[in-house]
Amino acid sequence: MGSDSSWLRDLGLAWLVARAILFSLLGILLLVAFIVFRRWYRGRYFSRLSQRTVILREQWPDILSGKIPGSAWRLKPLDCQIVEGILLDNIEISEKNQLPPFLACLRNSGLLDLRIREARTSEGWQRRSVLLALGRTRAPEAVPALVEALESSSEETRVAAVRGLGRISLPQAALPLLDLFATDELNVPEHTLKNALLNCCREAPEVLLPYLDRTSGSTRELIARVLGELANSGLGEELLILAADPLPEVRASAARALAKVQPEVSFPVLSTLAVDVEWFVRLRAVIALSSLEHTGKVYVLLRALCDLNRHVRQRAAWTLARMHQGKEDILEKVVATEDNYALQAFLSELERVGSLDAALDGLGNILDRAPGAADVENVAAVVREHFAVPGKNVAVAAAAGKR
Amino acid sequence: MFRFLEISNNSLFIFYLVSNLINLALLIVAIYKNTLHRYRLEGLRLEGIRSSPFTPPISLLVPARNEEMCIVASVRSLLRLDYPQVEVIVVNDASSDRTMEALRDKFALHRSPILYIAEIATAPVVAIYRSFAHPQLLVLDKKSAGCKADAINAGINAASSPYVCVVDADSILEKDSLSRIMAGIISDPDRVVAVGGIVRILNGSIVEGAELKEVRLPRTHIEMLQVIEYLRAFLVGREAWAAFNLLPIISGAFGIFRRDLLLKIGGFRADAVGEDFDLIVRLHRYLHDKGVDYHINFIPDPTCWTEAPSDYSSLARQRARWHKGLLDTLWSTRDMLFRRRYGRVGWIILPYMWLFECLSPLLELLGYTTILLAAVMGVLSQHFFIQFLLFGYAFATLISVGSVLLEEMNYRRYASWREVAWLLIYCLFEHFPYRQFTMVWRLRGIWEYLRGDLSWHQVKRTGASTTAVG
Repeated sequence: MGSDSSWLRDLGLAWLVARAILFSLLGILLLVAFIVFRRWYRGRYFSRLSQRTVILREQWPDILSGKIPGSAWRLKPLDCQIVEGILLDNIEISEKNQLPPFLACLRNSGLLDLRIREARTSEGWQRRSVLLALGRTRAPEAVPALVEALESSSEETRVAAVRGLGRISLPQAALPLLDLFATDELNVPEHTLKNALLNCCREAPEVLLPYLDRTSGSTRELIARVLGELANSGLGEELLILAADPLPEVRASAARALAKVQPEVSFPVLSTLAVDVEWFVRLRAVIALSSLEHTGKVYVLLRALCDLNRHVRQRAAWTLARMHQGKEDILEKVVATEDNYALQAFLSELERVGSLDAALDGLGNILDRAPGAADVENVAAVVREHFAVPGKNVAVAAAAGKR
Repeated sequence: MFRFLEISNNSLFIFYLVSNLINLALLIVAIYKNTLHRYRLEGLRLEGIRSSPFTPPISLLVPARNEEMCIVASVRSLLRLDYPQVEVIVVNDASSDRTMEALRDKFALHRSPILYIAEIATAPVVAIYRSFAHPQLLVLDKKSAGCKADAINAGINAASSPYVCVVDADSILEKDSLSRIMAGIISDPDRVVAVGGIVRILNGSIVEGAELKEVRLPRTHIEMLQVIEYLRAFLVGREAWAAFNLLPIISGAFGIFRRDLLLKIGGFRADAVGEDFDLIVRLHRYLHDKGVDYHINFIPDPTCWTEAPSDYSSLARQRARWHKGLLDTLWSTRDMLFRRRYGRVGWIILPYMWLFECLSPLLELLGYTTILLAAVMGVLSQHFFIQFLLFGYAFATLISVGSVLLEEMNYRRYASWREVAWLLIYCLFEHFPYRQFTMVWRLRGIWEYLRGDLSWHQVKRTGASTTAVG
């Protein structure tokens, strides 16, 4: 080897290259060794995990009731990990009334306190994992530790804390989020925050209302969007006020929420919102109208069908095509609007729901019974023209149009 | 002459050294980024994205030209994706086979008078169909403009969602891939304008009813080498460049974009040979011109499986076309080079693409020639010659093994010991002789481009490489 080295040194640049080769080969060997070791280690770990899971599952009733004390499994990392996993999975799928035994197990074993302490003292990814696990416990006493993490300088940690609070799904977890957000002290992605608020305020959307009053701009819009998702009939009056808000996003949210309020209260407001200056407010109003049972909505929807915005038109057509009212009547009214885009959108939707032939047959029957009915003849002519097929029978024209 | 050969050989050595050191740096960054991503995944709850009413809708655009063999399976898999609001828009680009008939038969299409506004100019759309069975499926039947970009642009025009995702017709997206890729956007929707996912090779895997049932490695050498190549390109290259917001390309097989931005830049360039690379460079240019704070990201876990060429001639055509696309885009954006206005894009990634991607086959050819010449003329030490080749080979193989490590650490799609062993073995062949083959194909691409041959050579699809193998 010594003679080899001197031979290489004599080569100058070649010696450098030779060393580079050796390092590269060593690197390859190390990487391969690491891959092999990691696979072997993981195989062994999962095998042990599987064995212990079977054993602990057998003991599950005793672990849950406390007959097997927490100290028997909490101090063994693998056992603790398995039991915690089972507990959190159960908590996640449980109804509120099913929670107490799981929470009692978490509390009595000291696992909850341990995680709360870790959430306060650990750093980096460990802290983030603990924050998410704390959220999954749905235990109210986890809220303060999660709130503390909202002030972390790391965005990832703040996001984990928001997600954790969201998973707690309690109104008291929403309040600190809203407090910080309303004062511009919470810097996390909007989507994460909205989802967290959505989960926490589901049972009590009214907690959002005071924050709507004292915020402005994009903050107010975000809270309004969440409220729009969660609002119930109990919020009727507040929603009427929000429907007149200067911020279009808030009006849109109010429109969305009004779908859940009694029609006699919401219909007049939605009719107004359906002609709002902002297209997405009009769209929201049209969507809300589609779920409302009110005889007057046809006229509002017909107006929306002639909207300049194609999304509003399409949605109005979608609703009209699915109404129980006679399709030929509506078709007649659509033709009367003299708006080709409206007609196109409506016929397209009728075709999608498979009602086009029925509507055209209905028109044809009226024509057969009363050949002189000028209005119906006009409709037939327009539909014929729309499908660009000459012919007397509108049903034939419709069939031709489908080809 | 001797002096020239000496300078040439030394330059080539430095070129290789710098190239490999850059790749090593990319590998280190990629390992760090992949590890971070793995931690993030642990906290990510896809269910939250799927069930949230705030999750934005997506239009999936599937350009299809003579995809009779795979279009039905591909559309079926897209319709089954686990995402709250998906609209699938297949654009039949004047196929001469039975692509349109297959779609019509299998999805009960009916002609639909939907309003189509060509915000981006395209070849005429002849008809628009909607499926009775799947109302979220729209099929545009259009005349051909001779390029995929035009078909995608027609899809962008018809899309009604704020985000569009371009998917190749011969590809299969994993069920949760849209939720995963959207996680990258909704974590920072103001900055993230486009995200690419990983493309993996489907050949050899078991597919049933348009669903990937079991991931397996392909059987032939050429396909296996492409598996390694894709792992290295995606898990190392794209992941690392994206960390510095320097992602030069989002694969045409799977990427998601903000629709409003695509409209602003006029969609995909119809006369571009490599429309996906061209689009990303133009996005960089537009956003720099406008002074927008943006991020074009890559996320390694949303997965798209695609059928790779399984014979040498198809692969050669594909690689020549890719290289023509690369050269075409780099040439058309040469004014961005070393311009302060384009920041790191103009100073780092575009020069890198010129030197280490576009010109590398020429430099390699020159290098091999001068080294051989020097060896023949006795200027070059035989020991040095062998060492030099060994060094280039060993260093590059290290990067390939590193990409298998990343795969093994984070994603583990190839589960068995046997498969990992095969991956490692094929790492040894990626840089000899496979790299030399690709060099020839890329040189062919350069030659065709210089000759003005910008035609789209169809890659042969067997549609059968997705069946089970023993």
